[in-house]
Amino acid sequence: AVNKAEEPQNPPQLGHLAIIKPLVYLTLRLSLPDALIRLPSGSRLCTRRSSGAAAPGSGATIFALSSGQGRCGIAVIRTSGPSSGHALRILTAARDLPPARHASLRLLSDPRSGEPLDRALVLWFPGPRSFTGEDCVEFHVHGGPAVVSGVLQALGSVPGLRPAEAGEFTRRAFANGKLNLTEVEGLADLIHAETEAQRRQALRQLDGELGHLCRGWAETLTKALAHVEAYIDFGEDDNLEEGVLEQADIEVRALEVALGAHLRDARRGQRLRSGAHVVVTGPPNAGKSSLVNLLSRKPVSIVSPEPGTTRDVLETPVDLAGFPVLLSDTAGLREGVGPVEQEGVRRARESCNFLATVVASVGAQSPSDSSQRLLLVLNKSDLLSPEGPGPRPDLPPHLLLSCLTGEGLDGLLEALRKELAAVCGDPSTGSPLLTRARHQHHLQGCLDALSHYKPSKDLALAAEALRVARGHLTRLTGGGGTEEILDIIFRDFCVGK
Amino acid sequence: MFYLRGCGRWVAASFTKQQFPLVRLSSDSAAPRTPHFDVIVIGGGHAGTEAATAAARCGSRTLLLTHRVDTIGQMSCNPSFGGIGKGHLMREVDALDGLCSRICDQSGVHYKVLNRRKGPAVWGLRAQIDRKLYKQNMQKEILNTPLLTVQEGAVEDLILTEPEPEHTGKCRVSGVVLVDGSTVYAESVILTTGTFLRGMIVIGLEMHPAGRLGDQPSIGLAQTLEKLGFVVGRLKTGTPPRIAKDSINFSILNKQTPDNPSVPFSFTNETVWIKPEDQLPCYLTYTNPRVDEIVLNNLHLNSHVKETTRGPRYCPSIESKVLRFPNRLHQVWLEPEGMDSDLIYPQGLSMTLPTELQEKMITCIRGLEKAKVIQPGYGVQYDYLDPRQITPSLETHLVQRLFFAGQINGTTGYEEAAAQWEKAREMSQGVIAGINASLRVSRKPPFVVSRTEGYIGVLIDDLTTLGTSEPYRMFTSRVEFRLSLRPDNADIRLTLRGYKDAGCVSQQRYERACWMKSSLEEGISVLKSIEFSSSKWKNLIPEVSISTSRSLPVRALDVLKYEEVDMDSLAKAVPEPLKKYTKCRELAERLKIEATYESVLFHQLQEIKGVQQDEALQLPKDIDYLTIRDVSLSHEVREKLHFSRPQTIGAASRIPGVTPAAIINLLRFVKTTQQRQAAMNESPKTDQCLRNADRLQERQL
Repeated sequence: AVNKAEEPQNPPQLGHLAIIKPLVYLTLRLSLPDALIRLPSGSRLCTRRSSGAAAPGSGATIFALSSGQGRCGIAVIRTSGPSSGHALRILTAARDLPPARHASLRLLSDPRSGEPLDRALVLWFPGPRSFTGEDCVEFHVHGGPAVVSGVLQALGSVPGLRPAEAGEFTRRAFANGKLNLTEVEGLADLIHAETEAQRRQALRQLDGELGHLCRGWAETLTKALAHVEAYIDFGEDDNLEEGVLEQADIEVRALEVALGAHLRDARRGQRLRSGAHVVVTGPPNAGKSSLVNLLSRKPVSIVSPEPGTTRDVLETPVDLAGFPVLLSDTAGLREGVGPVEQEGVRRARESCNFLATVVASVGAQSPSDSSQRLLLVLNKSDLLSPEGPGPRPDLPPHLLLSCLTGEGLDGLLEALRKELAAVCGDPSTGSPLLTRARHQHHLQGCLDALSHYKPSKDLALAAEALRVARGHLTRLTGGGGTEEILDIIFRDFCVGK
Repeated sequence: MFYLRGCGRWVAASFTKQQFPLVRLSSDSAAPRTPHFDVIVIGGGHAGTEAATAAARCGSRTLLLTHRVDTIGQMSCNPSFGGIGKGHLMREVDALDGLCSRICDQSGVHYKVLNRRKGPAVWGLRAQIDRKLYKQNMQKEILNTPLLTVQEGAVEDLILTEPEPEHTGKCRVSGVVLVDGSTVYAESVILTTGTFLRGMIVIGLEMHPAGRLGDQPSIGLAQTLEKLGFVVGRLKTGTPPRIAKDSINFSILNKQTPDNPSVPFSFTNETVWIKPEDQLPCYLTYTNPRVDEIVLNNLHLNSHVKETTRGPRYCPSIESKVLRFPNRLHQVWLEPEGMDSDLIYPQGLSMTLPTELQEKMITCIRGLEKAKVIQPGYGVQYDYLDPRQITPSLETHLVQRLFFAGQINGTTGYEEAAAQWEKAREMSQGVIAGINASLRVSRKPPFVVSRTEGYIGVLIDDLTTLGTSEPYRMFTSRVEFRLSLRPDNADIRLTLRGYKDAGCVSQQRYERACWMKSSLEEGISVLKSIEFSSSKWKNLIPEVSISTSRSLPVRALDVLKYEEVDMDSLAKAVPEPLKKYTKCRELAERLKIEATYESVLFHQLQEIKGVQQDEALQLPKDIDYLTIRDVSLSHEVREKLHFSRPQTIGAASRIPGVTPAAIINLLRFVKTTQQRQAAMNESPKTDQCLRNADRLQERQL
């Protein structure tokens, strides 16, 4: 239904149909996902209650990944709003816009670092002859998550742009009389489905470390705001305890510091846009390079029966179970590995001398990051006699593998997928890249707003800064209504005659 | 003056301009000369008086029906008006030319602006009011309102007729039946009384039906409403005892003096009637552990507090304060009831303890050791009509041309139990109901204040879309656009609209608001145009600490943002062209406020635009959410929409549980309806085009 529906939406394009059609097809698949970026708990479309972030439908320019999640050949990223042209010029580093409604090949680069992101087809649709009736741009980029994430983050850094809310493209199209009714019928169902998926994803995501952090911050901020609001609404009629404002001030400043530190950290993490690190370590001649080659399906390392063949760390980007991964082969067991790893290797060695031990460590950060996860892999299982005793039962959890026969590879891949999903988010439930761009956008927005919090001056203005900041955080965590504030006020203070 | 058989006493307002209010005869009435009005207002409380005068200002011949004319303007609740948030509402009612602010400016005995240091967006205009003066002034005003007739009488029933086909609702109200059996016809009826709402008064373990002495609750009216299917909920509230003034030892208490100068409530007044030095002080005292002890030891004697059903989250009574926040000192404000009143109203001491324990508790409090309780405090429980049954214009969904104001959200006719919250709410609803009842008569579109335009809009939107489970209180924290919706600019927000869209504003007030608006705009653009380097500003105004780090020139508007700068100091530095803006005090102060919020207002404006876009998308009124087939909606969403009947996509999206998908489906529905209407309205030629376009789309599908 969606494919069919897409065709008539831009009748003026019909003349170019031959050229544009395949692109249109992609665009189509994506007309829904403006719904994707939305957290379900804020299922209201109107942002009124989270009076902070800009309202949909206002002058803001929105962007979203418009094609499906996961890996695909081409991904379409779409913007809509008055700053679309500006964003296009900034990303293509060009003074002029490409001709309207024609596909043009352009090099996209990050406006902050100048780093090239992708060679992409870009389409410029000046309003009102566009999907939404506003100025729109489509970026048809190569579908790798790294590229998509890079472009999304680049767009997020352009002033005036923000990630779209669920259904926002559609609503703008509606408001401008651009959508025909059949399309909407299908869209609504899809948006509904997406909202459900989002809800589940958000729940899962909120279990993660970042979710935990965000929720904590949102709670702190909501409480601080509630206390400031209480001070405004009740400070002179009822007696609040001393120091309400001072306490809120301390909490807000601490939050500012935490957010700032996190964002600096997240920026460092951007180096990893190309993927999570999987480092293969182990004693000499355990078959680390063989494993790397097996996983990357091409000879990256020279393998030989001689121990110590690999002298340097070799890195190769691979696609493991749908995740972009930077696979590192290391030269033997290096120093600086954690005690757990060493102990595992020691036991493994003791248990069966003939089994080689390979440790794959998976981490979003550098290999030395303490938060890395370890997989203990015992190679050369083909040497294990079927009748003979297996590895000792007191070994830490491990996987058996034979690089020679490929036996155990499926199990290893599945284990890796789980580990990567834990680190990156599960691509089948929603794009971790989108999530990341969104997080960063709103966390930065929150931090910016907090810098305007000056309770010693006009308190209504200070509260407004907190409201805006909270609006950004609750976009990530859900909630954010006024009633929450009132609940805290009435819980913490004896007010209201 | 004019009397009608069997209709009790008529008090005619001045008939200077209008024709006689009885002339039209109703065809379906056997009795000759049955009186016929444009608008009937039932109830003479705060909502009723505002509603009646608003309808009359809009040009409707209006009848105000009240139990007793001499109780009009009776303020038997606490003797104060305004406060934080409530002051905003009063300013907005005044901007629509409502009564109460003007009367408060003539009747106050202690004027004080709360939140002075927290910023002009959250200033809370407030005053202690002299009951006697307020009542006198209110009656004078009511009885002198052109087009308004006042009659004593109790309403027993509504006269209902066939509904108008072009509107929703199962029937239409066309008048009322009084207790004596006589009838009065009208085009619109506004219900503001609450005496039929099964009120119970509770003191200790005693409970008896409420209602003014000798008044029988109008059982017929309550039954009619019930039969029509109005949904009713139950709420609780309470009132403190009254204390004899001369039994209080004020000398050991904290004294609060009024502001000097006093800030008037009304835009039309530059000063209030009384000088600051002639005003009365208020006093502050605190509860102590002995008060806690008496409450806790006597819970078994306190049925109002024992029942936890639907208690509000806030602490309306001293008992709930002690229970929820033990071991704390709670404030008690001792407020005068009037210039020559012997009573003191201890705000913060609402209680339902048995009478003898009330005095025992009060005498534990500092300054009240010898206090005499003249009238005990008591609790009230009452029914309220679920506000989701009315539209934002306050007309009921069920009965055409029947408007509710006041009691819809737990605001009752029991003014005794109500506080200034209820007053502000009642007035706001009263003025909106009055305007809309009148507009309905003249078949004009309803006058709805949006959330983006005023506290009145927030109040009515919250109630009509979300409903309420506790008496609604107007906190500034409920208002998303708090920095834009300030007490100082209510006239710009509402007076101009009230004049053009509702016709409820006098020419004089309108012209004043226009002048103010253009002066402000001119002033702001002049302030933006004056630019100097920061070092030059430093020389001009040495007392201000402008950061010199910026090399860019600084606008006068930005200098005005500094706390230490006002228009006077700015005009001293740059006499030309700024001097003329200091001549009008109000203008100068308002320019300063505009400057303070300028940077944030830009962003709020953007957001407001988004909300307004949603609100521009009207949902058809006659849509039957439960059965409609063209829209795919879940059962749950259907029921929610059916109950709340949102008028716009914006309101629908604020109803908890209505999903984005449902909103998109509704949007689609709106669009279809619009297209169908447009097709019907347009010339055959365009119609043909549309059909062609449709065919084209079909082919492609």
